[in-house]
Amino acid sequence: MRARVIAAAIAALLAIGAAFAGSPEPHAGSKAKIRALADEIEHESDHVTALELAEWIRQRRPDLRVIDVRADSEYAAYHIPTAERIPLTTLATANFDPRSTVVLYSEGGAHAAQGWVLLRTAGVRNVFFLRGGILDWMDDVMNPVVSSDLTRYFGGTARTGAVPLPGGATQVVARMRRRSC
Amino acid sequence: MIAPFTDSSIIVAGIVGIGFGFALERAGLGSAPKLAGQFTLTDFTVFKVMFTAIVVAMLGAFWASRLGLLDLARVYVPETFLAPQLIGGAVFGVGFALAGLCPGTSCVSAATGRGDGLAVVLGFLAGVAGTAALLPMLQSFYLSTPRGTLLLPDVLGVPYGVVVLAVAAVAGAGFAVAERIEAHAARRRA
Repeated sequence: MRARVIAAAIAALLAIGAAFAGSPEPHAGSKAKIRALADEIEHESDHVTALELAEWIRQRRPDLRVIDVRADSEYAAYHIPTAERIPLTTLATANFDPRSTVVLYSEGGAHAAQGWVLLRTAGVRNVFFLRGGILDWMDDVMNPVVSSDLTRYFGGTARTGAVPLPGGATQVVARMRRRSC
Repeated sequence: MIAPFTDSSIIVAGIVGIGFGFALERAGLGSAPKLAGQFTLTDFTVFKVMFTAIVVAMLGAFWASRLGLLDLARVYVPETFLAPQLIGGAVFGVGFALAGLCPGTSCVSAATGRGDGLAVVLGFLAGVAGTAALLPMLQSFYLSTPRGTLLLPDVLGVPYGVVVLAVAAVAGAGFAVAERIEAHAARRRA
């Protein structure tokens, strides 16, 4: 009986303390936070592939926000369906619903990966970047070697001969092509 | 995207699993009649053990994170799929009430040499295999009404620590009510 009372008292103290202890998230810039981020990168839980992102968009995953960090002109020429453009300079100060799943993409992935670090440091929880950027999106979803139902869903075609794409995207995509096949 | 199951996390999972089983058996939850008492409102051991586990884990996770020992963002939170999880919960509840054991307690029961426990283990393994085989057919329902990852502080818009205090208070109140009902049931039997 005595042990139960002591255990209950400790639990009550910890619970009351919790209400005044502030956020359980490690402070931005603290060693623990930086180590945790490095760990995420090491375990590759920081990115999604183009096919995974395409599947999320098709499933209409709730609270999914696809963010294009490229230049305005590149966004205007072609962007991944449902994507909104937020440049890196405003990304870190933008407000995100803590429930939202944020996927960043750039042309090749480097800028998006840097954006990932900015957002995670700012405390946004579910952030990913598109590995290989919009180039991988083009290669794996829009114009793959073998067409999939995802390709048809997004209005792309398999990579045989000409590449008709929505709008004026064909030229941009031609420039983006970097893998020979 | 998938939890990193390195060699050491398998070992840790094994140790935690053995600890969980040990705690269940010590609480008497390897016995089907005791678990059935929860459904007839005569024995609230299941409720008390589960809420104790929730409060201990919650306080541990909160304070470990607050002291910089644990990054809560790396703790996996399952996503909510409203309709399939409601139906799944109902199916699970019916099985639980019929068998008097849930998957965890059936393993404990089988490990302590009880025949009914072993039967439930075989039954749930058959159910898992059957569901896996039918998954292509069930896929669209399985992924319907998605709500994403929900956490009480975000849903309620209340600070994390306040939710911790509220859950602990609810658990405490629940224990008090449970003991009263148990005492009442014991008096009626006597």
